[in-house]
Amino acid sequence: MVLLSAPRWLRSRLTDRFWRVQEVLKYARHFRGRKNRCYSLAIRSVRRAFVKSTKARREKKRFLRALWITRIEAASLEHGLKYPSFISNLLKSQVELNRKMIADLAIYEPKTFKSLAALAQRRRQEGFLAALGDGKEPEGIFSRIVHHC
Amino acid sequence: SAFARCREEGLRSLLYPVSSIGLIPREVTWLLLVAKTSLTSPPWPEVKLPDPVEEAKYHAEVVQKVNKMIAMGQYGRLFAVVHFASKQWKITSEDLIMMDNVLEAECGDRIRMEKVLLVGADDFTLIGRPLLGKDLVRVEATVIEKTESWPKINMRFRRRHNYQKKKIIVNPQTVLRINTIEIFPCLS
Repeated sequence: MVLLSAPRWLRSRLTDRFWRVQEVLKYARHFRGRKNRCYSLAIRSVRRAFVKSTKARREKKRFLRALWITRIEAASLEHGLKYPSFISNLLKSQVELNRKMIADLAIYEPKTFKSLAALAQRRRQEGFLAALGDGKEPEGIFSRIVHHC
Repeated sequence: SAFARCREEGLRSLLYPVSSIGLIPREVTWLLLVAKTSLTSPPWPEVKLPDPVEEAKYHAEVVQKVNKMIAMGQYGRLFAVVHFASKQWKITSEDLIMMDNVLEAECGDRIRMEKVLLVGADDFTLIGRPLLGKDLVRVEATVIEKTESWPKINMRFRRRHNYQKKKIIVNPQTVLRINTIEIFPCLS
């Protein structure tokens, strides 16, 4: 005869509780205090640690970019240029190095950085001259300035 | 002219040149016996570019020198800035590079990186605007390894709301070894 329902003395019990707990505790072994040993305390700290690492992966990009900008600013001030004019003039001269690269060059290749700063300075001066124009008045305008000649 | 008259009268010390302030004509206007005020010249420093003819000569000389140096091989270790896998890398020969993605090339394949932004040695640098020509630089690399990254854990948790999600992300990675960086003397 076939037994269709299981008898009451047959229970399904958890047999691998030890390994499930170890899976969590292995991430907590380097923590301080009881949260590296006791499961209830550890599971909370491990969850927070995972969430913090997830968020930090997004903020690391922002943080590193700010660091590069600081370094480029320091290096360009050594050559007499400010960061905004340095970057804008480099872009106007069609040099498309990103900030990570320029920061690395400023650290490890000082001569190259100096030449980039000189390029930016020259482009800046050319921009000023182009903005000032010829110095001639527009035609057909009666000027109030007296010319001594 | 007024300047000549002043020079005769020995009043040259009272004259000084006033450069153009935009509305005044380009020729220098000499103001007689007027004190120098804060509005006589513009507040920004005057910018003078070097003579274009002389500058062109100087540039040609520099280009020739660099060309000769490259032709004679008088450079030590070359470094290059290369745009690869949507990132910029500063590389030299015998360098290892790890990319966080898949490359459609088998292990041991030789690859040429074409988007070179900058090449430099100890005495000279060639800056591309934005890229250097393919006939000027040659960067060769070999694919060494194709693995997966360590399992990164993505977890979201909201307290008191019974909400948590855990995801394990494993990225494929490729390791390249930069074999050589070569430059050819074809500057103009």
